Amino acid sequence: MGTEESFYPSEEDIEKWMSRAFDMAREALQNGEVPVGCLLVYNQEVVGKGRNEVNETKNATRHAEMVALDQLQDWCRRSNLDVRCVCERTALYVTVEPCIMCAAALRLFKLPVVVFGCRNDRFGGCGSVLDVASADLPLTGNTFKCVSGHRAEEAVEMLKTFYRQENPNAPKPKTRKD
Amino acid sequence: MEPQRKRWKGSECGSDSWTVYPVLSDEQSQDLELVEAFAAPVLNKKETSRLLRELSSLYPMSGLQHIKRVRTVKGSPHPLEVLLCLVRDAPHMEVLSIDSLLPSGVKHDALGEPFRVKIPARPPLTRPQFEQAGKHWPTSFHEDKQVTVALRGELFTAPQKASMHMHMMSALTAAKAGSELGMDAVGAVVVDPSTEKVIAVGHDCRGDHPLHHAVMVCIDLVARSQAGGSYYFDQYPACTFTPPASDTFQSPPSSLPYICTGYDLYVTREPCIMCAMALVHSRIGRVFYGTASADGALGRKYKIHTQKDLNHHFEVYRGVLGEQCEDLTSKVEVYRKVDY
Repeated sequence: MGTEESFYPSEEDIEKWMSRAFDMAREALQNGEVPVGCLLVYNQEVVGKGRNEVNETKNATRHAEMVALDQLQDWCRRSNLDVRCVCERTALYVTVEPCIMCAAALRLFKLPVVVFGCRNDRFGGCGSVLDVASADLPLTGNTFKCVSGHRAEEAVEMLKTFYRQENPNAPKPKTRKD
Repeated sequence: MEPQRKRWKGSECGSDSWTVYPVLSDEQSQDLELVEAFAAPVLNKKETSRLLRELSSLYPMSGLQHIKRVRTVKGSPHPLEVLLCLVRDAPHMEVLSIDSLLPSGVKHDALGEPFRVKIPARPPLTRPQFEQAGKHWPTSFHEDKQVTVALRGELFTAPQKASMHMHMMSALTAAKAGSELGMDAVGAVVVDPSTEKVIAVGHDCRGDHPLHHAVMVCIDLVARSQAGGSYYFDQYPACTFTPPASDTFQSPPSSLPYICTGYDLYVTREPCIMCAMALVHSRIGRVFYGTASADGALGRKYKIHTQKDLNHHFEVYRGVLGEQCEDLTSKVEVYRKVDY
């Protein structure tokens, strides 16, 4: 087996970095932001740390994962490292299952493994709505492994709390006539 | 050399050289599925309504409300035939007979010898499905006229097609500009169809960033046009945006559209799954693409725009300047082969 195949975070790593991701999510919730915490970790170093930036950028694709991937790319440039080599040994830790778009983005960056908390029944791209993580898409990067369910209830609670507050930027939902 | 085509009126714009088709959901485009049933001719027409009443209480055929219980067969001595029941609902019998199918209560001397038929298992959703179904057994059909016209490739008027042609030409021009910089040859244009104004033009920039596909570039350029955005594409002269509220007839900035709500996207090739989902998040109005792509998510591998669990759906059309868009894609595939 090559080194790529054997790359997998230890239990200890998962515990440590997911705990950091949950801290981020809680902080976001306290600031009235989408409670998602998201870290990209390479070689015991955080190389990307995203929060949802949809509202301030007016770009609906600025999910925490997308922001973190941009940071990873910048970090590689600054460190003069090849993005592809770094990604081969980078794991994503995120409190909520990445959406379909983010799962595809992770494939395109060729990340080998994603650790997440709760399922994302509305948009999830790692099995909940679609399984982009393992789908046969030869022109869309690589498949990746998923480790799911880490502190799932806690992640769900935070999301529920957030969605109870209305998103003032979303269009008014159409009321159905009977 | 190709033989010269006949010049039709209005062909200067070339918009009659291509046809645009809708990309419908799997339910709307799937083939006919049949289920086996028993039917019998009605020997005495006057008994028909009583038979129907008694049969539908004995064998309600639930889930098959689209099926007409009676059909007319031209040129037969007994032109009416009635469905008795589904084969799977019938009692076990050694020999097929009316007696074993209708064991009690139903007076059936008005029925002839029963026989097996195949009937459509699902209600037809489109005219082609309805016509296919009718070859087996008549069904009801709630026609969506727009879908029928769209499937004939006749949904859009000549002026509408001329405008679509113009926008896809811009996307093609952007694609070529990107390809000259070493990017994949894909271009995209976002248009506000209510004003015909171009909001953003972009091309693939994945040479700089693996996620900067043409659609993602355009989505960010639309955000820029609304005083947002995350990136600068200023080094690419073919990537541009126009603020939607720049002219005096526009509504005040407070009523700026919510991301891409109501906008049309033109893109030379079918978006990938990332771009397709980005369009859902951005609440795009409609998508027009030139040619399909192998991993495409608006028709080929997925139909994200019709995915049931998602919170936003939109119309997708393919074939706008299909040939020219296809030419771009095949060039890209040549590069790919060299790459690996």
